Amino acid sequence: MSGYLLRRVGLMLLTLFGISIIIFVLLRLVPGNMVDILFDSAGMVDPAEKTRIAAELGLDKSIPEQYLVWMNGLVHGDLGYSYVSEKPTIEEILPRIPVTGRLALSAIGFAVLLGVPFGVISAVRQNSGVDYGLRVLSLAGLSIPSFWLGLMVLMAFSALTGRLPVYTEAPATVLDAVLLVAVPAMTVGFRSSALIMRLTRSAMLEVLRQDYVRTARAKGAGAGRVNFHHALRNALLPVITVIGLETAFLIGGLIVTETVFNIPGLARFLVESIRNRDYPIVQNLVMLTAFIVVSINFAVDLLYAALDPRIRLGA
Amino acid sequence: MAMKQLGLGGLSLALALVGSVAGAQTPKSGGTLKIYQRDSPASASIHEEATFSNNVPFMGIFNNLVIFDQHIAQNSPDTIRPELADSWAWGDGGKTLTFKLHPGVKWHDGKPFTANDVKCTIDLLQGKLADKFRKNPRKSWYDNVQAVVPNGDLEVAFKLDRPQPSLLSMLASGYSPIYPCHVSTAKMRTSPIGTGPFKFVEFKQNEDIKLVRNPDYWRQGRPYLDAIEFPIITNRATAMLAFMSGKVDITMPTEVTQAIRRDIMKQAPKSVCMTAPTNVGLNLIVNRNKPPFDNADLRRAMALTIDRKAFIDILFEGEADMGGALLPQPEGIWGMPKDMLATLPGYSPDVAASRTAAKALMAKTGYGPDKHLAIKVSTRNLATYRDPAVILLDQLKEIYIDAELDVVETSVWFGKIDRKDYTVGMNLTGNAVDDPDQSFYENYACGSERNVTGYCSPELQKQFDAQSQETDMAKRKQMVWSIDAQLQNDVARPTIVYGRAATCWAPDVHGYTAMTNTSYNGYRFEDMWLDR
Amino acid sequence: MPRSIRASGWGHSMAETYGRELRRAGADANSPVRRLVLLLRRYPLGAAGAFILTVFVLAAIFADAITWLDPLRTNAPEKLMVPGGKHWFGSDVMGRDIYSRIVFGARISLAVSLGATTLGSVLGVAVGLASGYLGGTFDLCVQRVMDVLQALPLLVLALVTSAALGPSLTNTVIAIAIPMIPASARVIRSNTLALREAAFIEAAQVQGMSEWRIAIRHILPNTVAPLIVLATAQLGSAILTEASLSFLGLGIPEPAPSWGRMLSESAAEYMRTAPWLVIFPGAAISLMVFGTNLLGDALRDILDPRQRG
Repeated sequence: MSGYLLRRVGLMLLTLFGISIIIFVLLRLVPGNMVDILFDSAGMVDPAEKTRIAAELGLDKSIPEQYLVWMNGLVHGDLGYSYVSEKPTIEEILPRIPVTGRLALSAIGFAVLLGVPFGVISAVRQNSGVDYGLRVLSLAGLSIPSFWLGLMVLMAFSALTGRLPVYTEAPATVLDAVLLVAVPAMTVGFRSSALIMRLTRSAMLEVLRQDYVRTARAKGAGAGRVNFHHALRNALLPVITVIGLETAFLIGGLIVTETVFNIPGLARFLVESIRNRDYPIVQNLVMLTAFIVVSINFAVDLLYAALDPRIRLGA
Repeated sequence: MAMKQLGLGGLSLALALVGSVAGAQTPKSGGTLKIYQRDSPASASIHEEATFSNNVPFMGIFNNLVIFDQHIAQNSPDTIRPELADSWAWGDGGKTLTFKLHPGVKWHDGKPFTANDVKCTIDLLQGKLADKFRKNPRKSWYDNVQAVVPNGDLEVAFKLDRPQPSLLSMLASGYSPIYPCHVSTAKMRTSPIGTGPFKFVEFKQNEDIKLVRNPDYWRQGRPYLDAIEFPIITNRATAMLAFMSGKVDITMPTEVTQAIRRDIMKQAPKSVCMTAPTNVGLNLIVNRNKPPFDNADLRRAMALTIDRKAFIDILFEGEADMGGALLPQPEGIWGMPKDMLATLPGYSPDVAASRTAAKALMAKTGYGPDKHLAIKVSTRNLATYRDPAVILLDQLKEIYIDAELDVVETSVWFGKIDRKDYTVGMNLTGNAVDDPDQSFYENYACGSERNVTGYCSPELQKQFDAQSQETDMAKRKQMVWSIDAQLQNDVARPTIVYGRAATCWAPDVHGYTAMTNTSYNGYRFEDMWLDR
Repeated sequence: MPRSIRASGWGHSMAETYGRELRRAGADANSPVRRLVLLLRRYPLGAAGAFILTVFVLAAIFADAITWLDPLRTNAPEKLMVPGGKHWFGSDVMGRDIYSRIVFGARISLAVSLGATTLGSVLGVAVGLASGYLGGTFDLCVQRVMDVLQALPLLVLALVTSAALGPSLTNTVIAIAIPMIPASARVIRSNTLALREAAFIEAAQVQGMSEWRIAIRHILPNTVAPLIVLATAQLGSAILTEASLSFLGLGIPEPAPSWGRMLSESAAEYMRTAPWLVIFPGAAISLMVFGTNLLGDALRDILDPRQRG
């Protein structure tokens, strides 16, 4: 077990190392550079000034040298300075984590609340009209781009209520505060809820066919009780699977949704920073993203093993 | 004076001005004003940036030596008022400009403001100090300043190479704040210190900018507001919804299009909206050193095929004006008279006739229905650049030019332009000060950094200098018109249109005047107040 | 067939799967038309998906014939027209016809998604085959690279790649294809590993066939089924990724009528005053992805009965 864990952690580190190289090289491939972006708002200026800034930012060094500087900083907990805001990267990233974290967790919560019950219903009523309807709906959920859903929700919201679930200031009322998180969370979570529903459904179907459920039924337990008591417990696995599978997608959804709803979180910050070629921010944000994805997958594997005795670690 | 569109239906201009200028009612103190901000400024340092995204949130932190009257919509040399300088005087045949400074002024950190700070600011702009600006886009404004000489703490003299009446106008712009000597340029970019009515509190990228009242402001009883907040909302529709639902009190100045203005008047009919020129010109940068547009006939043909009316209708729903190098009359002070303008290539109302002439020129150079000219039109990957470029593509087809759009990211754009690696580019040029010196020296003078096309005509250069020294306004106008006509005839950098845009505010916002010939100079905000 | 292959779940050839599937559906496997009808009847949702996709493909091919306005033509007097009349879906801020732009946009959407999926699959197959067949250190290294590519969300990797390459159709295809490589490489690799032990491969080896010939002649055809299932799923996410990239301003540049681009900036700006600018492009994206998802589900049921719900 501990050998397996060690090996997994080693692989994680290796993966993160690989990502650091890929991201670093990709960013340096970008035609044009950071200095030009900095000059964007100033228009044309003296080329000598550009050279000076490039030197100031360490961009005149060779790419391997720049990489070593970055890695050395990472190891010592120094993430460098944002080129744009001139603040330490960590100061830019840290305050945005709770914003995006809250949104992501609410999205997953929403997805579970919607996906699991419908998945169970769909399985129990297999091949009924309800089942078909829910399956089509879930496929639709997987098909709608979340930024479009976001725009449509915004349109509907402003047309119907005159309210606006968009970050412009600290929310005045509790309802505002809830809406500010809930509406975008639903937009992001809709896709995941569809996936959870589908996986719950197939897991349930498998369980319903299994012996112990039949036994429970034979013992005279009510159908409803059997379904929910025995079977639902097994729905935990698909939910965990989805969280593992969906982390990556969720981050994609967050990127566009934070843009649509003007949420000052990490995901939108990443897009802005890519546009600004703010290397220190992009590098570290991408590393953070990769770290989250890798660790969640790791955690999911462990949870899986803990929940399902049929799966052995290291297999 | 200014032709303005008023949100409140049929009200007259006079009434609008009365309504917007503090003084009609007794101003109330207190309250927090919220202005939405369209994007995250690159830094908080006004001197280092060249977009009004900087002036709007940060101008309130500073003072200038002199400033355009914040309540007269049309900036002109006659509306320049004292600020840090109580008075000024020209001497030495127009080669010395002396300012007497206001006593007792303090920086936000408590240090006293002196004549030396003025010298530091200009020295920084001229790159004379060890601490340097990262970017210095308006260096050319001060090319003619030989030295700034303090005389004690409260007097300072600008020594010039030659007389330049326009210098005062440039010093009165929102782009000309006085910076403190004792604060580094790096700090000025992140947490600026000024002498102005508001103190800097915070600037969170893509989130908000906050200013708070300067309790020790040297001007008694100002500012009225306790604080100003600028929530950054990048999506314009979202921002406008925030305004309509009362979450912000005033839109970012000049960010309201006509379609949105109509929506606002429907949803929040009590709002006050003003439409005025922004003095941002849409223009074509033409690479005249490279085929095909090294050929004067082809340049002229391109200029002739431009249907400015279509640009005005599509991009601005009619709210835009044709003009040359300088903002057209009546809002513009230096624009050519309309009949003179109509004689320039591509400005005639008879587009069909112009295009016939263009086709003849194309035929002369060997292009026609059987032989099209293929070019690329470069533009930046921003909607305000792309949209007009798409229209241009369409119009070029009319004279057998098959243009392909070359959409360039910002990170590549300046490098590309710098290398002259383009044929034709769609460009936007904002003019901070409605002034010929600013326009000519920045955009058309030999060797100027912001003269992106590298256009250089020694003959015109002489004329630039001549008009710059002319103190008789009427005479100077004639000279400016003649230069402008030569620039357009030479297809140096054909201006397509000058757009207008609206600013809207809630009915309880007072003391704001929308400027009509600049979108860079009217944001001191010290007289604004809320009727709550 | 040896047990090891069955256990891998992908051991059957496509023809075999088809046949069994059809027999189960009660088909007489002689008439192709009849076979198709029976398949459609058994999988009505899949049929609907195939129909939706067919409509989009036909629209893309015959775009010139079914539209009457140039999708790039600006027209001042007809800007922001309400849907109806000459402009079925209305017109945008430059007076361009939304219906034409949607129809021509299908070309872009299909070109990018098919291009990216094909490129991703081809590269994935090559990598997977080589990795599974050669094994050893090569396999180990390739697997680590795949780990790296999979640890980044599709959109994040595509964002950085397309920023690096610049906005264009080809670059968008590449940016979307690269993150897709690991999935198909993994599927092919595991099948290759399983098949390597199979009796008929051993037979081929005994007969003296070269390794590469075995890989291409025997192993590849046996992995077609799972690959098709995977590719269909990837098609949908390619469409969505292209739309997201263009929405964020990094995909296909103007003036090309990309659906995602149509939804960005200017459309968002007019969402209150001209909602049709938002509704139609988004509906087109959703419908097309919905079609691929319906079809993908059915294909998975047909080709991979193990996962049947």
